[in-house]
Amino acid sequence: MALQPAAGARDLLPRDVEANRWIADRLAEVYQRWGYAEVMPPSIERLDTLEAGGAIDGGEVLRVVADEPLGLRPELTASIARAAGSRLAAQPRPLRLHYRGSRFLAERREGEPPRIREDLQSGVELMGAPSLAGDAELLRLLLDAAGHLPLGAAQAPTLLIGHQGLLQPLLAPLAAPLQRSVREALARFDRLGLALLGLDGSLLRRLDDLLQLRGEPLAVLDHLSRDLDSPVTADLRRLVTSVQGQAAALEIRLQLDPTFQPPFALYDGLVLELACRGLHAPVVIASGGRYDGLVRRFSPGEAGATGVGFCFAIEEVRQLLSEAGGWPGDGDQPAAASLVAFGRPGTLEAALDRLQQLHRQGVRAELWPTPCPDAEAAGAIARERGLDRCEWLGPVMGGPA
Amino acid sequence: MITVALPKGALLKDAVRRFAAAGLDFSAITDPDNRLLMVPSACGSARALLVRNGDVPVYVAYGQAQLGVVGYDVLREQQRPVAQLLDLGFGGCRMAVAVRESSPYRRAADLPPHCRVASKFTRCAAEYFDALDLPVDLIHLTGSVELGPLTGVSEAIVDLVATGRTLRDNGLIAIEDLFHSTARLVGHPLALRLDDGRLQELVQAMAGVTA
Repeated sequence: MALQPAAGARDLLPRDVEANRWIADRLAEVYQRWGYAEVMPPSIERLDTLEAGGAIDGGEVLRVVADEPLGLRPELTASIARAAGSRLAAQPRPLRLHYRGSRFLAERREGEPPRIREDLQSGVELMGAPSLAGDAELLRLLLDAAGHLPLGAAQAPTLLIGHQGLLQPLLAPLAAPLQRSVREALARFDRLGLALLGLDGSLLRRLDDLLQLRGEPLAVLDHLSRDLDSPVTADLRRLVTSVQGQAAALEIRLQLDPTFQPPFALYDGLVLELACRGLHAPVVIASGGRYDGLVRRFSPGEAGATGVGFCFAIEEVRQLLSEAGGWPGDGDQPAAASLVAFGRPGTLEAALDRLQQLHRQGVRAELWPTPCPDAEAAGAIARERGLDRCEWLGPVMGGPA
Repeated sequence: MITVALPKGALLKDAVRRFAAAGLDFSAITDPDNRLLMVPSACGSARALLVRNGDVPVYVAYGQAQLGVVGYDVLREQQRPVAQLLDLGFGGCRMAVAVRESSPYRRAADLPPHCRVASKFTRCAAEYFDALDLPVDLIHLTGSVELGPLTGVSEAIVDLVATGRTLRDNGLIAIEDLFHSTARLVGHPLALRLDDGRLQELVQAMAGVTA
């Protein structure tokens, strides 16, 4: 019998689970204050939902053996957009939902069986809010949530902001497949790949210049406005101006980056990534953006169907915090706890009664399930299990010997 | 600190020379007495990791090295999420289909369907034969691929050819090229986006040297 989990899957041990819960609870408190209600979408969905109209590569979806094409969700936005367009269709908009849950990815390498990657995510989806207000709320909420995590100068948090519309004036004359290839090459920072796409020389030079352009948002927007007449620059300027103060107070650097794109091609407007400096490599702890096209796909008749959202990668946040020495409360002495042990088999029931009496008093207590010869032996067991108190119930007078 | 992954073997000296010309001196790594696998630059502002050619994209993809030097052949085979920044020009070779000199086949498309083809680069080979719409049975070997046709393990091979001498000495002949490969400067996309200017300056300096 195999004793190891499936390739890539991991066991989370109590300390990891405690850290994950601390992070997710902290984020959820922020989401709830902003009026977001928690939902729990299914882990299994139909493949066509999960692939989100081609935005997600089917090869990344872990398929489930079933009578119909099903898979495990590689992210949660598509499932929530589906629910918003069906069971939540009658709910008034804007719809504010938050979630926590695992997503599953199939990591495939040539000649190797797929590795399973399971990550815990915590995020929000805001549907039906007008574009600018929705984007502004999303940015403020993301910064607020990040501000409730113990990130500091050592992690150098940077919020990358982009917009799919920024490049549209340059790319509009190109055929759709070529536009996609150009966006992919830019997202991968692939200068040589870009050069191989057969683009006109002046367009290639402008795209190569854009690939080098990033930094303080208003300065980048000034630069962009000079030679790129994009309708989204004014909205971006207003958006960035509205969060600059909040970001500065939280010591989160804002960086406008016209060419970056989160891993899944779900987004068709604003795109965001919160990156931090890890011990050995940079790490993305949150990402998101606007996905109006996906919402329209699930709610074709809905006027003003829009959606924005982001999610935090809880495991990445945990890793980052543990590299920086842990999270607040990590390593604290747990509250006093007791071991309840008994001397003879006949006193088991009395021991269980005592255990529950302690629980009713709010004391953490656990049972030692086999008879213990004396209080001293029970005390040694308690110390070994890290429990600071011990109650040993000796033989009951008149009970069985 | 900038970390650079450098490949052991044929590309190492040219890679070190190219970084030196751009201002980062890793020449200690080419010292015959050197046994260190992580070597600081002479100025102390960067360090080089000495890794196998095929491991360069791994270190860069995971972000442990912000930059690396690796052959295009390895990039094509591994398809890791790394940014190709510069064609460094050295380490030129071609990925080619080769058969025995006595083989009747002189074009890849003439090979019999479902014949065996041995290669270290099975992904490149699979893509190539898929594009030809020719079904072949790919056999993955980790070295001495030229033995494939000589021993009858395969009808043909797909392998890197630099001067062609190894093929000639083993009685093989290249019949078609898949692509030309040179050394590339690659980078970690997120590190490049979060760069405070030092990586871009180095890449530009190396581009200037290349030109």
